[in-house]
Amino acid sequence: MTTAATSDLTEGITRVLFTEAQIQSRIAELGAQISADYAGKDLLLVCILRGGVVFLADLMRQVSIPCTLDFMSVASYGVGARESNRSPRILLDLREDIAGRDVLLVEDIVDSGYTFDHLLQLLRTREPASLKVCALLSKPTRREVEVPIDYLGFEIPDEYVCGYGIDADERYRNLPYIASVK
Amino acid sequence: MSKITDCIANDGYESLLDKVLIDEPTLMARVAELGAQISADYAGKVPLLVCILRGGVMFLTDLTKKLTIPHHIDFMAVSSYGVGARASRGQPRITLDLNTDIKGRHVILVEDIVDSGHTIDHVLRILQTREPASLKLCALLDKPERREAHVPIAYLGFTIPNEFVFGYGLDLDEYCRNLPFIGTVKKEYQ
Repeated sequence: MTTAATSDLTEGITRVLFTEAQIQSRIAELGAQISADYAGKDLLLVCILRGGVVFLADLMRQVSIPCTLDFMSVASYGVGARESNRSPRILLDLREDIAGRDVLLVEDIVDSGYTFDHLLQLLRTREPASLKVCALLSKPTRREVEVPIDYLGFEIPDEYVCGYGIDADERYRNLPYIASVK
Repeated sequence: MSKITDCIANDGYESLLDKVLIDEPTLMARVAELGAQISADYAGKVPLLVCILRGGVMFLTDLTKKLTIPHHIDFMAVSSYGVGARASRGQPRITLDLNTDIKGRHVILVEDIVDSGHTIDHVLRILQTREPASLKLCALLDKPERREAHVPIAYLGFTIPNEFVFGYGLDLDEYCRNLPFIGTVKKEYQ
């Protein structure tokens, strides 16, 4: 990891894919849809660290029904991170018992789908009342294992993207928009 | 289910809300000021913002959006050994440690609220043993009347009275973290 300071936070960005206004407007729609679909239910939002937190923080403000929040952190065993088709290792497990709960997994991006698929399988063993997926971005052309996405922000082509929680070597996470990067 | 949980599930948070203590525009304006101040103070550095789960997440993400300097973020989760959570005098147990080696780094611990100060004091002392270049605390809320451990707050959002608050990351029996403002709870539910 580099700790060299750059004066320009946006250096390396080639084009903006989704503006802040587009993202916020889509999140408001997702929040309204989730609030309607889960009305009267016991909604638990589960956020996967670290990329998903920016999306989660804005999404949950748009959820108008009572809900609770929990976090998981996972890592792959070896190198390769997200590309790995092996089960992820749980670094931080849920604090909440999800048996009988309506669980909505919140992620920034679904790529190959391996990590997600393994997580869903793991969470299903705990017998939630329901288990759904909300992803801000999906790269369908990269998919190697089918993952049902119930709530999706945007589909994107197979490009390196960053911003709005998604980093490239820990940079660009705090940009309020999503951009492609060299 | 507790009385509070029942009440929220049946009637929503409105039935528990006494008053809005800090509204959304006031929160956002103060977060922007803190972001500008941190950006100026850390110009030329790449600070690492460390958020303690779970309450600080909303504050952290809004704060980072206001930073104009390169920075990194990381998360820690701690829990107390026994019962009592935040009020506990016991040392916190690290349930999720940092992903980042902080030796020589400029670290800013980002927290939602400083109450008794015991947990944050312990976390600061743990982080200090790892020899960061600097270590400061940024807290959205400070309840000085409740303080038992001395905790220096370098960047503070608001000083609040000793009232039961919720919203903007702070929970009421795990609910209401998602509200965009900070409210106080009616006396009968405290």
